[in-house]
Amino acid sequence: MAAGVAAWLPFARAAAIGWMPVASAPMPPPPRDKRRGQDGLIILNVSGTRFQTWRNTLERYPDTLLGSTERDFFFHEETNEYFFDRDPDIFRHILNFYRTGKLHYPRHECISAYDEELAFFGIIPEIIGDCCYEEYKDRRRENVERIQDDEENDNNKDMVLPDMSFRETMWRAFENPHTSTMALVFYYVTGFFIAVSVMANVVETVPCGSGPNRAKEVSCGERYVLAFFCLDTACVMIFTVEYLLRLIAAPSRYKFVKSVMSIIDVVAIMPYYIGLVMTDNEDVSGAFVTLRVFRVFRIFKFSRHSAGLRILGYTLKSCASELGFLLFSLTMAIIIFATVMFYAEKGSSASKFTSIPAAFWYTIVTMTTLGYGDMVPKTIIGKVVGSVCSLSGVLVIALPVPVIVSNFSRIYHQSQRAEKRRAQKASKQTGQALVCKSNPTFETQHHHLLHCLEKTTNHEFVDEQTYETSCMEVSLAKPSMSRSSSLSSSPHGLSSCCTRRNKRKSFNVPNSYMADGRRSSIQELSTIQIRERPMSNSRSCLNAKFEETVHLNSEEQSYITAAVISMPTPPVTTPEGGDSASSPNFLQSNIVRVSAL
Amino acid sequence: MKMSSRRRRCKRQLIKFTQHIARLITGTLSSDNEDEEQESTTVRYHPENLEQLQSQTHFSRQELQLLYRGFKNDCPSGVVNEDTFKNIYALFFPLGDSSKYAQFLFNAFDKDKNGSLSFEELVCDLSVLLRGSTEEKLNWAFNLYDINNDGQITKEEMLDILKSIYDLMGKSIHPRLKEEAVRQHVRMFFQKMDMNQDGVVTIDEFIDCCQKDENIMQSLKIFDNAV
Repeated sequence: MAAGVAAWLPFARAAAIGWMPVASAPMPPPPRDKRRGQDGLIILNVSGTRFQTWRNTLERYPDTLLGSTERDFFFHEETNEYFFDRDPDIFRHILNFYRTGKLHYPRHECISAYDEELAFFGIIPEIIGDCCYEEYKDRRRENVERIQDDEENDNNKDMVLPDMSFRETMWRAFENPHTSTMALVFYYVTGFFIAVSVMANVVETVPCGSGPNRAKEVSCGERYVLAFFCLDTACVMIFTVEYLLRLIAAPSRYKFVKSVMSIIDVVAIMPYYIGLVMTDNEDVSGAFVTLRVFRVFRIFKFSRHSAGLRILGYTLKSCASELGFLLFSLTMAIIIFATVMFYAEKGSSASKFTSIPAAFWYTIVTMTTLGYGDMVPKTIIGKVVGSVCSLSGVLVIALPVPVIVSNFSRIYHQSQRAEKRRAQKASKQTGQALVCKSNPTFETQHHHLLHCLEKTTNHEFVDEQTYETSCMEVSLAKPSMSRSSSLSSSPHGLSSCCTRRNKRKSFNVPNSYMADGRRSSIQELSTIQIRERPMSNSRSCLNAKFEETVHLNSEEQSYITAAVISMPTPPVTTPEGGDSASSPNFLQSNIVRVSAL
Repeated sequence: MKMSSRRRRCKRQLIKFTQHIARLITGTLSSDNEDEEQESTTVRYHPENLEQLQSQTHFSRQELQLLYRGFKNDCPSGVVNEDTFKNIYALFFPLGDSSKYAQFLFNAFDKDKNGSLSFEELVCDLSVLLRGSTEEKLNWAFNLYDINNDGQITKEEMLDILKSIYDLMGKSIHPRLKEEAVRQHVRMFFQKMDMNQDGVVTIDEFIDCCQKDENIMQSLKIFDNAV
């Protein structure tokens, strides 16, 4: 919309005639129009394909190659055209950017070729329109990752960074077992012991034949108590040592302790220690036995060794709501059928359906088509209800499952995309803010328009900070405080006429024009733009026409447009020090009024 | 009477019910039956030819071409409706609320009051504002202020207009805007313009007063080179 808005400026200015009769102060003189040359057609010859456009179209973006005098380097006298030895297919999109203000990314093009063309023509990729921006970023990231992966595979063997501390080495060894032999050995040893421990838990409940002086069979665990105890001790030793080592090596211990894996580790080894501490008391032995169940959690330690388990856990977590809903609908159906079944079978003698909760079991077994047969309806109504139950069971269970499966993939991809987008947005806004510039003539005229508005209403634009200051203070502000407050970086940048509209179709943001002709006149505000820029390497920097950048807090991305009003007291910032031809217009306080112009 | 109507209603319900069952059995979805075709209601409008516009306005051929190209870029359908106009105008005054003033402007531009501005209307008004005589400009301004087109500007109309102009500034202005300031402005205006003190300003009073005021005369000329 950048081009379009400039086209409407004459209408807006003409409409300003409507303010004239009600104005309470004389109007500022209009800016001197930089004489634009006659608008002519420019021929751009890109590797044989001729493109033509108006000169004004190209000059909308004066900080790109085509919009500035840099294109003169490519002028070909014999044919009176500009010749570029580049790809004409991609050039088409670049030229469309000048025409429409939106840069699109063609999906069939290679991302690196596209990036090269953009870099050549001086266009920053952040201005790619919303329609194509995601795709562009995705492709770019894939490319970068691919390059990185290739590099990693090459450098994997010799990734010894000598300046890593011992702690960091250990942590790296724990996280990536294939980085060193020691780590690999450790990895396999722990894996082996996890398997051994789980097997021991399983085997100790197997009946092992009758003991020597007992009649009934005992489990292996009770027969070979000492052996199993030794095995258990050994495993717990290893697990404890591993946990402690990880705790020491972790870069952020607090985060490590909070993580799921460490909780599993703790739960896996706790029962042993609790068993050691507790005496052989009759009351607590029951609880102690329960505690041994937790030993099975050791199997979850395998998830460190298996990426698939981790993904499964993550997807289950992210689909918790869907699973919950499935459970809820099943519960509803179970309750309904169980109730009906109970009342249907109430009449029959020796019915197993003694209560509704008892009927729950039948309903579940029927709905999941298990059909154990331990509870069977005898009455006719009961049988009818039972058949309806089993038919609906198939539906109720079969229907949500594909939904859940598709939800899995949808939610998984969605959360990934949302994170991507959030990360992209931040960089995109800053890039966009920098790049969306409009031509200086438009800026001058737009500001003159706003200036007229100020004169009409006899009020002035100020930044939010001084507005609040003036609200809070009854008397005039003290000079020193006001000076520092208004020029110190206002956190949200100035509500300059143009900066706040980043969110809308912004047609311009930081203005780079200088009040050239106005300096001479005494009766006015000399407007000096102090632009604060977060990144200073962009091409736009170089073409900016302001005369001095005041370095305010460079951490904040604030675009400050300050108007230093020539005032009796020495002004805070004037690039031209002596140009403070004081104007008695300035009535009120010594606040440096930071006008939006 | 009642019996037959009731019977009719019963029959209708029964028919609907059987239809419903039939649809259930055959498995047709209700949305299959509806054949909605959205008719595209784009309005296409193109202006009169260039020569005619040239004769009607004070613009040269190149200027008209330039203006139309920009116009067509934003409004491919050839007309601007009120919402688009408000949106475009808001881009110039990002700090304040320009919708009311844009509405007054729209009504002033829209001579035939059909709710949309064609290119001719815009360009004719533009030529008056930028290239016309001062009397024509003052005439236009009077039409802008006279919201109900009754030939007189009342205090309420002036108050509305001034409020909308102050709205363009937004909140962050210095000194702080007080309610009284706008009324004061209205009073000043009427003091200056209302010669016979009858509480309204007619067009002759308006033009006379403005022509006597040097500042206003001067300021009417500042946009003359806008295109």
